[in-house]
Amino acid sequence: MTEKKEIRISQAEADFRRRLMETPGAEKLMLCYQCGTCTADCPVAMRVEEFRPRRIARLAAYGQKERLLGGDTVWLCAGCYTCYERCPQKVRVSEIVSALRKLAVKEGIIHPTYRALMRSIAEMGYIYEIGEFENEMREDEGLPPAPAPDTDEVDAILRRTGFSKLMERH
Amino acid sequence: MRYAFFVGCTTLARLWAYELSTRRVAEKLGVELVDMPGSSCCGTTYLDTLDHKTALAVAARNICIAEEMGLDIITICNGCTEVLTKANRELKANPALRDEINEVLAEVGKEFKGTVEVKHFVKMLKEDIGLDAIKAAVTRPFKGLRVGAHYGCHMLRPSDVMLYDDPEAPTTLDELIDVTGAESIAYPNKLECCTGPIMGIREDVTWSVGLEKVETVKRYADIMVTACPFCYITYERCQLMAEESPDVPVVHYPQLLGLALALSPDEVGLEMNNIDASRILKFLEG
Repeated sequence: MTEKKEIRISQAEADFRRRLMETPGAEKLMLCYQCGTCTADCPVAMRVEEFRPRRIARLAAYGQKERLLGGDTVWLCAGCYTCYERCPQKVRVSEIVSALRKLAVKEGIIHPTYRALMRSIAEMGYIYEIGEFENEMREDEGLPPAPAPDTDEVDAILRRTGFSKLMERH
Repeated sequence: MRYAFFVGCTTLARLWAYELSTRRVAEKLGVELVDMPGSSCCGTTYLDTLDHKTALAVAARNICIAEEMGLDIITICNGCTEVLTKANRELKANPALRDEINEVLAEVGKEFKGTVEVKHFVKMLKEDIGLDAIKAAVTRPFKGLRVGAHYGCHMLRPSDVMLYDDPEAPTTLDELIDVTGAESIAYPNKLECCTGPIMGIREDVTWSVGLEKVETVKRYADIMVTACPFCYITYERCQLMAEESPDVPVVHYPQLLGLALALSPDEVGLEMNNIDASRILKFLEG
């Protein structure tokens, strides 16, 4: 007689999975039957050992928070939506990755590149500085000055939604 | 035809040839592109993965500026296109969410009303001007120039948001290349992502993905054509970083069209392309 074995997950792991599935985009996590279409078609998975969409779905189903949020894994998705388009179960790992990033940010985890980009938007309204120097160069090429972003308005929005506060923790 | 022109940070800051050629082509075709005062970054595709509500509010504030101008938005970056389209559609479709975002926007005296559309320049060319009209305006067509088109992900995907072309077998950009007299060729893995968005996480991966596509294109075509600043940067930089560059010029779509509309190389900023693109001039007739 074969021994019956089942995979048990801890309460903390179950809680993490629940929080993930409550995040918009990750609702269908448990419909994943591990076919691997996502990994087969992923341009990053083809080249990066630690980024495997199918594995992300599996680890998420088991609430493996540390293994998911510990390294660069969730920051390696290029957001190309190939897996989103082709997932036969509409689990859409790109959306699970996005939900995982939202949980990561709340835990005080963000990739430095993301932090820097968000800081640029908050401070300058753009992801690059487009000041007097850039506008002079633009003029030389026959272009009008770049629209000056209303940084007060952008800042007010980021404060109102709580995003500024969220980023302060990073 | 008048549109609000949402150029996008990356193009504004460093891809002036793309912006210049877009503006000149628009003028040539009788399209007025009006700058959007006070507009900011769209939020980037990254922001929505960190906080959905903030992403919607930042995108919506930009859309409100176009609403105040009474004009539909033209984008030339696939990232901006996706971000603004997604927010626009979601806020139009979901009144409760719209109210929630409008509470945020009230802080800056704005209100999302849902009165404008967002479209990529390429989409506008085909839908609002039309292939026939563009073909009629082509006075100096290319002959014998083979082009590898790269659509870029967010012009097409997510398809249930973008609702544009066939996400697995698109034709728009190919058709727009063909009306210039050049020939858009088929090549393997045409729809694969450039992975530009992880350039800041794993640069080596982006360059390797980029090179692989450029080398594939080189087997079939003379140049590569893009319609997004991130894709352009990836396919150009990966060659500049390579020990042995495949030396395939990467050309912004409006540069290609502009030349066929008899604009001068200077008017489409051709000398700003870092991989010498002047070699395409010999394919122009007349």
